[in-house]
Amino acid sequence: MAKLYVQTVPPPDLNKNTEWFMYPGVWSTYLFILFFSWLLVLSVFGCTPGMAWTVVNLFHFAITYYFFHWKKGTPFAEDQGIYNNLTWWEQMDNGKQLTRNRKFLTVVPVVLYLIALHTTDYQHPMLFLNTLAVAILVVAKFPNMHKVRIFGING
Amino acid sequence: MVRLPYVTALTTLFSYGLLFAFGQMRDLFRKLIDWSKSKGKDLKGYAPICLGLEDFYTRRLYLRIQDCFSRPIASAPDAWIDVVERKSNDHNKTLHRTSNTTKCLNLGSYNYLGFAAADEYCTPLVIESLKKYSASTCSVRVDGGTTNLHTELEELVARFVGKPAAILFGMGYVTNSAIIPALMGKGGLIISDSLNHNSIVNGARGSGAAVRVFQHNSPSHLEEVLREQIAEGQPRTHRPWKKIIVIVEGIYSMEGELCNLPEIIAVCKKYKAYTYLDEAHSIGAVGKSGRGVCELLGVDTADVDIMMGTFTKSFGSCGGYIAASKEIIQYLKHTCPAHLYATSMSPPAVQQVISAIKVILGEDGSNRGAQKLARIRENSNFFRSELQKMGFEVLGDNDSPVMPIMLYNPAKIPAFSRECLRRNVAVVTVAFPATPLLLARARICISASHTREDLMKGLEVISKVGDLVGIKYFPVEPPKHVEQDKKTL
Repeated sequence: MAKLYVQTVPPPDLNKNTEWFMYPGVWSTYLFILFFSWLLVLSVFGCTPGMAWTVVNLFHFAITYYFFHWKKGTPFAEDQGIYNNLTWWEQMDNGKQLTRNRKFLTVVPVVLYLIALHTTDYQHPMLFLNTLAVAILVVAKFPNMHKVRIFGING
Repeated sequence: MVRLPYVTALTTLFSYGLLFAFGQMRDLFRKLIDWSKSKGKDLKGYAPICLGLEDFYTRRLYLRIQDCFSRPIASAPDAWIDVVERKSNDHNKTLHRTSNTTKCLNLGSYNYLGFAAADEYCTPLVIESLKKYSASTCSVRVDGGTTNLHTELEELVARFVGKPAAILFGMGYVTNSAIIPALMGKGGLIISDSLNHNSIVNGARGSGAAVRVFQHNSPSHLEEVLREQIAEGQPRTHRPWKKIIVIVEGIYSMEGELCNLPEIIAVCKKYKAYTYLDEAHSIGAVGKSGRGVCELLGVDTADVDIMMGTFTKSFGSCGGYIAASKEIIQYLKHTCPAHLYATSMSPPAVQQVISAIKVILGEDGSNRGAQKLARIRENSNFFRSELQKMGFEVLGDNDSPVMPIMLYNPAKIPAFSRECLRRNVAVVTVAFPATPLLLARARICISASHTREDLMKGLEVISKVGDLVGIKYFPVEPPKHVEQDKKTL
């Protein structure tokens, strides 16, 4: 296979927690992980493709909500806690809203939702769970929700 | 500009994701087991010392490959070095020293001119000064810690670097982190290169001035940042900045690249910003007579306002200096806390630097200095071109003695390090967070004390290990004459 090479320049982002997202190949890796986890779910549970997409969607919701919108701070002590009140989503791109990375991350759950609904033929318990998952994720990513803590939860 | 195959980028991100997932699972199990066992009685109402999140990287990623870092040595860091073997009974969580040592080729020490081991001119003078002045001055510079060695070295450093005056400090890291707060305060602006060393970042944070970062080595982005900041002024009040200083390094230690100094100085002069050049890795190692990156790139030293350097790398000693105009040095002597409250440099260390500079300048009566400088240049260029011919991705400019070999995948870091050690070559590998996530590397530092045979042995070992580990990302150049074995694509 011909080797494709990409070039990369170190981005001027001082926050080590988020700068890894600015490199080439991150988006593709994310999509590949989703695709392979669908295959994994299909092979382990042996269910219909639609159920597998629903399972992937719900796990994706749980994991990304926890790591992007719940966990605060960075795993590095050298930052001396400057980001201790910000979730990963709020630290991304230094707090700038509506950048390319943020738009991509908002679109992925919506596309996953559409695929899950389509493959389950819009049937009932899956429809409700999928809609709940995507609604929470997309609302959490709105620019107006930057640094907002509803009812002081996770404040 | 680093080039990497696309598939490597994907696999590296996937590996880090997998390591992260495993680390989180282990943390989860530990939390469950701890919760069922102790119920938190030990803390007695005190807050935990560190949040579980902060040291996640150290606990779950760094400790797994701990044996590749902090290796103790048992000899002077010359071209060949004795590395102490360590054993672990619990998968690298704790390491115990054994009494065995292995003699390895040293490709990791900052020993650019070979002054790290005993030198025929320097060592007798150092031992004499140790007997005369003892190992420590036991005092602060302003009290009783200024010996005539210190004043002699300050004048010598100023003459060597090409500035009117200089001031010394006992530690290189402290030089940056204590000077920058003395020069800049609230209301000032510090613009630093995005890949600056941690000491500069620390000093900038401690100064209280606003800090902005510009893209590594790009004068156009620096100009953009300068224009934006000058136009906006201080945050919220929009008053003009009191002072603007731009901090760059001569050779960036993780990339081996030289700074784009002439253009950056031109931009700073246009916008009337001060410049601070950190020559930790370039002083004594580059330039025709070893005077650093200004000599190499043809920049007049009067254009750089403050030049900083360390004695650890090329002079085989320890400590740092700042060279600037007489007024700035006088001001620093009155205000810098590292001068007023920290112990002065140890006298034998000062004597070592004095003798080393004399050898470099040729004032000891021989031409060993010029020979060393020529040898390090030849060695670096030879090693770098051979590595690139073998298909490795090697960073750094020509003439720079620091050459990082890119590894990328996290698993290749311990693989490369351990396999090289097994074959008696000691290398230093660096990973996240000292470098960006995708770009883990093994950093080679060439020295003037490496002979051609040493370099050939090093190349042979690195080539074999590179094949084993799979880091020859680029096509191999066909050899011009018949050699040991051929490597195919």
